[in-house]
Amino acid sequence: MVIISSVKELEELKKSVAPRFRVREDTDFTRFKSAPEINIRVCRGSGCTGSGSEKVSQTFEEAITERKLSDRVTMIGTGCHGLCEMGPIVLINPGDTLYTRVKAEDVEEIIKSHLLNGRIVERLVYHDPVSGKPIPNYSDITFYLRQERRVLHNNGFIDPWSIEEYIGRGGYQALAKALTQMTPDEVIAEMKKAGLRGRGGAGFPTATKWGFVRSAQADEKYVVCNGDEGDPGAYMNRSVLEGNPHSVIEGMAIGAYAIGNVRQGYAYVRAEYPLAIETLSHAIRQAREHGFLGKNILGTDFEFFIDIFPGAGAFVCGEETALLTSIEGKRGNPRQRPPFPANVGGGLFGKPTTINNVETWSITPQIILGGADWFASVGTENSKGTKTFSLVGKINNTGLVEVPLGTPIGELVFDIGGGIPQGKKFKAVQIGGPSGGVIPVEHLNTPVDYESVTALGAIMGSGGLVVMDEDSCMVDVAKFFLEFTKDESCGKCTPCRTGIPKMLQILKKISQGKATLKDLDVLEELAEMIASASLCGLGQTSPNPVLSTIRHFREEYETHIIDKKCPASVCQGLFRAPCQHTCPVELDIPGYISLIKDGKFAEAYYLIKQRNPLPAVCGRVCNHPCEFKCNRAQIDEPIAIRDLRRFVADYAFSNGIRYAPEVKKQKAERVAIIGAGPAGLSAAWDLALEGYPVTIFEALSVAGGMLAVAIPEYRLPKSILKREIEDVESLGVEIKLNARVDDVESLLSDCYDAVFIASGAHQGVKMDVPGEDLDSVYDAIEFLREVNLGRKVSVGSKVAVIGGGNSAVDSARAALRKGAREVHIFYRRERGDMPAIAEEIRAAEEEGVHLHFLTAPSRILASDGRVSGLELTRMKLGEFDRSGRRTPQPIAGSEYVVDADMVIEAVGQRSDTSFIKDAQIQVGRGGVVTVERRTLATWRQGVFAGGDVASGPKTVIEAIAAGQRAASSIRRYLQGRELSPLVERDGYEPIAVSSMLPSDEETKERARVKASEINVGLRKTSFKEVSLTYRLEEAQEEASRCLRCDLEVGG
Amino acid sequence: MEAAEVSLREDRGVGYAGRVFREIQDIISDTEGKSGAVIRVLQQAQGLFGYLPAPVIKTISRDLKIPLSEVYGIISFYHFFSTVPKGKYVIQVCMGTSCYVKGGQRILDALKKERGLDPGGITADSRFSLETVRCLGACGLSPVMAIAGDVHGKVKASRLNDILDSYK
Repeated sequence: MVIISSVKELEELKKSVAPRFRVREDTDFTRFKSAPEINIRVCRGSGCTGSGSEKVSQTFEEAITERKLSDRVTMIGTGCHGLCEMGPIVLINPGDTLYTRVKAEDVEEIIKSHLLNGRIVERLVYHDPVSGKPIPNYSDITFYLRQERRVLHNNGFIDPWSIEEYIGRGGYQALAKALTQMTPDEVIAEMKKAGLRGRGGAGFPTATKWGFVRSAQADEKYVVCNGDEGDPGAYMNRSVLEGNPHSVIEGMAIGAYAIGNVRQGYAYVRAEYPLAIETLSHAIRQAREHGFLGKNILGTDFEFFIDIFPGAGAFVCGEETALLTSIEGKRGNPRQRPPFPANVGGGLFGKPTTINNVETWSITPQIILGGADWFASVGTENSKGTKTFSLVGKINNTGLVEVPLGTPIGELVFDIGGGIPQGKKFKAVQIGGPSGGVIPVEHLNTPVDYESVTALGAIMGSGGLVVMDEDSCMVDVAKFFLEFTKDESCGKCTPCRTGIPKMLQILKKISQGKATLKDLDVLEELAEMIASASLCGLGQTSPNPVLSTIRHFREEYETHIIDKKCPASVCQGLFRAPCQHTCPVELDIPGYISLIKDGKFAEAYYLIKQRNPLPAVCGRVCNHPCEFKCNRAQIDEPIAIRDLRRFVADYAFSNGIRYAPEVKKQKAERVAIIGAGPAGLSAAWDLALEGYPVTIFEALSVAGGMLAVAIPEYRLPKSILKREIEDVESLGVEIKLNARVDDVESLLSDCYDAVFIASGAHQGVKMDVPGEDLDSVYDAIEFLREVNLGRKVSVGSKVAVIGGGNSAVDSARAALRKGAREVHIFYRRERGDMPAIAEEIRAAEEEGVHLHFLTAPSRILASDGRVSGLELTRMKLGEFDRSGRRTPQPIAGSEYVVDADMVIEAVGQRSDTSFIKDAQIQVGRGGVVTVERRTLATWRQGVFAGGDVASGPKTVIEAIAAGQRAASSIRRYLQGRELSPLVERDGYEPIAVSSMLPSDEETKERARVKASEINVGLRKTSFKEVSLTYRLEEAQEEASRCLRCDLEVGG
Repeated sequence: MEAAEVSLREDRGVGYAGRVFREIQDIISDTEGKSGAVIRVLQQAQGLFGYLPAPVIKTISRDLKIPLSEVYGIISFYHFFSTVPKGKYVIQVCMGTSCYVKGGQRILDALKKERGLDPGGITADSRFSLETVRCLGACGLSPVMAIAGDVHGKVKASRLNDILDSYK
C-alpha cells in the first residue's frame, strides 16, 4: 500500500477518486436510460444485514456478471441510510431511486425492469405511511427532506471498507490542515468557537475538556473513544462505526494532536457490535497502511496509534471512569471524582485522558475543515450543531435521523417519523435511555436541546428516542428501566445497589394493585435520595424514569393504586383479559364469546346483562375501546366484540329470551334521577335491583337521552331502544316524561333521599361567526333531535356540516336521508384527527358525503335573509396543542366561498345546568357539574352527578359506567356508610363458561367476519338500519377466533 | 471443578486438554505483558471453548499472575462471560426498550412455552441455550432475536418454531 506522506499526495488521491461519485450524486432520473454508468448501493448496515441484504448483494453481483453488465454497472455496499425498518435498502443512480424491503427474489425484476428498461419497480419504492403514495426519489421522501445529515453524510454514500472513498469525499483533509496549518491551540480554539458539546449524553463542551487535558502536567496522555453505546434503543454510534469509521479515526488523531503528548488512543466498542468492531478494525489497519496512523503522519513528526478494546457486556462501562477501569483490565467499577480523567491521576493508567463519544469524534474533522461558523450555523444558542437520533418503538418510519438541535420533538415524531402505526394514539417519547425520562403529549413543541429536555425532567442522553403509544403503561416503563439499571449496577455504592431494588419493589406492588398512596410518596423520596447520593451517573440518573413518569403521568399511577386498573392494559397482575379490563363496565367479554361459540346464547345474554343493561344499544353504537386492545390483532385482526354482543342481544329479542334478575326487598329510601339517558338508566337499573324505588325525571317527551334524540334511526332503531328501556322499567323504575326539574333542592325536600343528576350535554357550542343567527343555521344536536322526534325539518339541497365528531357525521348522514342533494363536511384539522368512529366516517363517504379538511368557516353568507353560502378559510397546521394534534391556524388571504343553503354546526356540546339553582352544587367551566372524581358526589350531601353533565361529552359506555358508579355511591350513602372510590356491584349469578383454550386450527390467521350492510343506494333514501346483525353461523365463526386471554393470564 | 477436568480429557481424548492449554498460553504470550490484558484473554479463551471452564480460569490466573479471586471477580462482573456451557446455538433475545415496546416479552414467553427455555437455561439436548441481551443495535427491526450471531428481526411468536427448526 502506498503511504500518503504529504498533503499534495492526499490531494492527488482525492482528485483521482472523486469522479466516481458523480453518478451517485446524479439525482436526475430522466438521464437514466442514456447514462454511461449506473451505480447500485446496497446497504450493509446492521439493520439491513439482519433483513438479508448480504444475499441481495450477492444476487446482484451474480446477475451483473452473468448478464455481462459489469462495465456499465457498479455495485457497492454502504453504511446505514437510516430507514432501517424498511430494509434491505437499495439505491440506484442516476435518479436516486430508493427501493425498500428488497429480497434476493426481487433482484431479477429490478435488473430487467429498471436497469435494462429504465422503468422503476413501483411496488418496491417507499410509500408514504399515511397516504400510501409511492415516492421513488430519495430526496422527495419527507423522512429525509427534513433532516440535516452532517454526521451521517457519508453513511449510505461511500463504501465504508474503502479508505479511498473516504479520501475522495475529503477525508483526512482536516487532519492534514490541522497538522500543517494550525497549532494545537488553534485547533482547540476552533472547536471552542464551534460550541460542540459532547454527544454521549452529558453535553459537556468538548473544547473545554480537551483544554483541561492539554494543560495537565504529564508527558503521556490518552484519547479514548467511547463506543459502548449501551442505551437500549440507541444505535447511532454503531452506524457511524460501520458506515463511516475513518471519520472517528481522523477525529481522534486531530484530538490527539490538539492535546499534545498523546501517542496512543483506545476505541472501546461494546461486544454486542461485532460488525462495528470488524469494520473499525479494518479501517484502522487501512489507516496504518496509508500512513494516517503510526509514526510521521503526513510527513510531520506527529505519531499516533489506535487500539480497539472490545467490551464484555456491562452497561456501566459506558460511564467514563468505569470504561477506563475496564481497559485497565479490572471490574468496571466507576471511580470517585475528583480526580477527573482529564487530571493527573484520574485518567487511563493514571494519565490525563479525554473520553469522547463516537459522534463527537466523527464530527470533529468536519468542524476543522468546514469551520466553526459552518457547524454553528444550525442549532440553538446553547446547543449548536446537529445530532443523530434513533427513532424507534411505535413509529412508522423507524430508523436513524439527524436534525439540527432545537427541532421540536413533535416534528421528529410526526413529520419525520411519519406518526404512530395503525392509527394509535401517541402517548410519550422516551428519551435518554435508562437515565432519561418521558416527554408526554403536552410537550410536543419542546425543542430537542440539552436545556429544554432537562427542564422537563429527562436528559438528551445519546439520542435514543423510543416512541410509545396508548398500549404502553408508564408504570411498566419505569419498572422496565429499573430492572435494567438494577442488573447493570456495579454494586459499589449503597444508594444504587440497595436503593434501586427497593424502588423496583414498590413499583411491582403498584403494578399488582397492592400499593397505597403512601407508597408513592416513599417512592419519590427514595428516588430523590438515590439521585443525590450515588457515586456515578448510572445510580444518579437511575431514578429519572421513575420521577419523570410520576411527574407527567401521576394519574396513571393513581389509577393503578386507587382503582386497581391499568389504563393501558399492560400490568398483568391486575387483570385477565385486556378487553374486559379496558371496558368501562368490565364486561366479561371472553365469557360471552365462549358461550356464543358453544351455542349457549341465552347464557351469553344473561352474562352480558349482568354488567351492561343496554347491550342491544351498545352493540350498535359503542366506540368499542375493547377492540383496540384485543390480542388477536397480533395474529390478524381484532375480534368483532361489538358485533358479537349485538348478535346476542338481537337473538334474545327475537327468541323471547328475557333477563329477569332477582330484585332485593324494597327499601324505604327513594331516589330521584334527572335524565333518562344511558347514565340515568344504568343507575336506575342498579338501584332498582337493590330494592330502592327510583323515579327518573325526563324533560323531553321520550326517554333515552342522546340515544333517542341524537343518534339517528339508521344506527339505532327506536324499537330496539324502547325494548331495552322497557327492561329497566320492568324492575319497577318509574320514568316521568315531559317532566323538567326546576330545582334540585325541591326534590330533596319533597320525598327523595338522594338525587343523581344525569342530564347530559344537549346544548351545542356556537362557532361565533357572523351570520350564525340566520334561519337554516342549526346546531347539530338540535337538528338531530328534531329529526329523531319525527318533527318536520326542512333540509336544504346543499348542506354544509361543520365539525369532525360523531354529531357531525350523524348530521351529515341524516341530512342526506332527509333529501339533501349534496352534503359536505368541513373539518378544521386532518382526517386522522377526526374524533368520529372510523366506521361511521367510512359509511358517510360511501353514501356520498364529501369531506373537506384543513378548512373552517369565517362567515355565513346570506341573500334575502336566507343562507346562501359559506365563506371558509384554509388552515395550516401550527404548533402542537395539549392533545398532541397540531393547532390549525388560518392562512391569511385564503378565504373562499362555497354555496350552501343550510349550515349545521357540530363543533361541541355543553350542558344546560340552569335548573341546578342550589349554590352548593358547583358548576365549573364548560357547564360541567363539579364532582369528586371517583365517588361522583357533589358538594351537596345526597346529590350526585355523572355522565356528560359531570365529565363533559364522552361515550355511551362511559355514561353507563358512570351510572353504575353513582348507584354504588348512592347505596353507600343511603346505608350510612363511607363513600368509596371503588364501584361496588355484587350479586352476580355465576354462569358456567368453558375453560377450553382455542385449538391450533382456530389460532391460524383468518379474516375477521364482516357484518353485512344494506346497499348504499337503499341507505341514502331511508332511515332503515344500515348494518345488519350477524347470522348465527357468522357469529359462531367469529367467536371461534377469540384467544381466551382470560385463561392464559394468571392461569 | 474436577468433573470438568475429567470430561475434557475423556470426551475428546487424551492430549486434547494439553493442546487447548497450550493455545491459551499462546494467547497470553501474545499480549506481550500489556497491562489490562486479562479481559481480552478471557474473551479469546471463551471464544475457544464456548464458555470458561474452571481449569482454564486457573491457568489464566496462574500465567498472568493475577489472584484467582480477582479473575473470578472480573468474570462475574461482565455479562458476556459464562462459567457454564452454552448450547450449540445461543439464542439471544433482545430486551432493549424498543424491542420491549414492540413485544419482546412475547418471544420469551413463547420460548418458554415451546421449548421450556428460561433465560440462562439450556435445552435438554444442548442444542439451544437462551440469554437476554440489552440491545443488539438493530432497533429498526424490533423485536429482535439473534441465533448464533444471525440477527432475526420483526420476530412473531407464531413463527418461532420455523426459525428454530432451521438450526439443526
